[in-house]
Amino acid sequence: MTAARPLPVDAAGRPLFELPDELAIDTDVARRVIAGFIRGQLRQAGFERCVLALSGGIDSGLVAYLVAEAIGADKLLCVLMPYRASSPASRADAEAIVTDLGCHSELVEITAMVDGYLGRDGEPGAGGEAVLDASPVRRGNFMARARMAVIYDRSVTFGGLVVGTSNKTESLIGYTTLFGDNACAFNPIGDLYKSQVRQMAAAMGVPTQVIAKAPSADLWPDQTDEDEGAFSYPLLDRILYWRIDRRRSIDELVEMGFDRELVERVERLVATSEFKRQVPPVAKLGPRTAGVDYLYPRRRPGSARS
Amino acid sequence: MLRIALAQTAPRLGALEDNLARHRELLDEARAGGAGLVVFPELGLTGYQLQDLAAEVALRLDDPRLVRLAAATRGISAAVSFVEESGDHRLFIAAALMEDGEIRHVHRKVFLPTYGLFDERRFFAAGDVLRAVPSRLGVGVGIAICEDFWHLQTPQLLALDGAQILLNVSSSPGRDLAARNDVGLGTATSWRTLMRTYAQLTTSFVVFVNRVGVDESVTFWGGSEVIGPSGEAIFSAPFFDEGLYLVDVNLEDVRRERITLPLLRDERLELQVRELGRIIAERAGLATDSTADAGAEPGLDVAPAPRADAAAEGAPDEPIRLRSRRR
Repeated sequence: MTAARPLPVDAAGRPLFELPDELAIDTDVARRVIAGFIRGQLRQAGFERCVLALSGGIDSGLVAYLVAEAIGADKLLCVLMPYRASSPASRADAEAIVTDLGCHSELVEITAMVDGYLGRDGEPGAGGEAVLDASPVRRGNFMARARMAVIYDRSVTFGGLVVGTSNKTESLIGYTTLFGDNACAFNPIGDLYKSQVRQMAAAMGVPTQVIAKAPSADLWPDQTDEDEGAFSYPLLDRILYWRIDRRRSIDELVEMGFDRELVERVERLVATSEFKRQVPPVAKLGPRTAGVDYLYPRRRPGSARS
Repeated sequence: MLRIALAQTAPRLGALEDNLARHRELLDEARAGGAGLVVFPELGLTGYQLQDLAAEVALRLDDPRLVRLAAATRGISAAVSFVEESGDHRLFIAAALMEDGEIRHVHRKVFLPTYGLFDERRFFAAGDVLRAVPSRLGVGVGIAICEDFWHLQTPQLLALDGAQILLNVSSSPGRDLAARNDVGLGTATSWRTLMRTYAQLTTSFVVFVNRVGVDESVTFWGGSEVIGPSGEAIFSAPFFDEGLYLVDVNLEDVRRERITLPLLRDERLELQVRELGRIIAERAGLATDSTADAGAEPGLDVAPAPRADAAAEGAPDEPIRLRSRRR
């Protein structure tokens, strides 16, 4: 165990983020495990390079630093995929990360693809008249899947595996788009809560403004995760940690001082998003069925790209 | 004459309250239909593919919900299956015989399949007891759960212990779709063979209740049956359809069959125990195995066959021994 480092502070000497005691991890150990994981995944698949969708937020930012540390920035392609309504600040942050790491980068604006389906300024797209009134969530899901289509296409041209950037918190509460931002070949940070992502990002030198800004899906101006969900990440992380990792009951959490209504709400979010964390079931008909009783490691002798 | 109600239900996975309510409804329906015994499927109170839900739906035997369900069995017998949590916090797949308002007997699944599509040993502890119990029906009842019936000793021990009705409650996933057999489903064909054979060899009634419905990837095939002591099917429920099926049996058939065919009378328990004792000692390497191949390791009956390529490679003729034999 290394001694806990003091949290990074802003110009006024205030900590950049709150890190609940129980969630603090040894970032040196985590870096070592994750770097080995990334290298192992690539080796077993017969790849040497990675691609990832870089939004300018802390999750994809941290993953970029982790991949660069594991295999070198020259083997990493970050694809920036802004929509016309995306915040310019996000793009500037993404560019700052690319510059700092010295990795490859590409800019693919998804506006034409997305508007081509959703329509624009009252002009219907391929999705038809009714899609013009699509809710922000529906539009956001479509954008996430457009980015997925692009990143998988670029994975072929760059010859790299797609690295996932969803964290444990958003995965558990289902704040992800199925086959959108959660689509990947492997995910190095899927078992880190948001608070732990921040701790790791600070340890790895992710730019301060990326760590300090309010997390956002960037689907509309000034949207933030915490406003949209009416929670704070440190509190949400603690509830999930005690409930899931430490197997505490709802009543026990209430005794610990958590608000029952919030705990129950989190419980519902986790339960209703179970499907997003699993491979879809196949109807069992024959003697052996993939995922049921035909069970091989994803990577086994002969499975690597030669 | 006994009327048996086969509750071929589709439990809702993890929804204990819903399933309890459904059990109470069917219990009432069975009683109204004149049944003396109602049999529910394996894990009928919880559903099958529980995984980590098992601990969340587990019931202690003194759980008020279970006690209330037992209280609803006045004047009727019921086999009810659920996840039981023991005092030392082990989780068992259990089936209780409830009669006249109380829990008479609890069977804890002895054989937990952990192969193929099954992963039970990961989530559950195995029971250690097989007992037939007297019942208000006037005959002994032996309860087994699904995989318990894929081991010969289960029906044999239950019958020898006094059971005249063998209950098997199941959550059998249908698989191996095939046009080549008469029922179109490999699983069903195997089960039907087993049940007829056991009924005949134990000269007992076999009551098989298998659930229907879907959990995750698997579809449970139903096909519940009552087999008479001569091995003939008295009733076969449809595949995949939920229902409460009422079947009349004449318990006198057991006497007639056992007089005609006194197989149980002629069982040689002392021979079985003696030979089992020998096999156990030999398997442990504690006794010389007089029936083992020359060159077999202690505890193993069979020596490895010489490798087919042994001569070509100039390998020794004798199989390589892992360690010297203790004799």
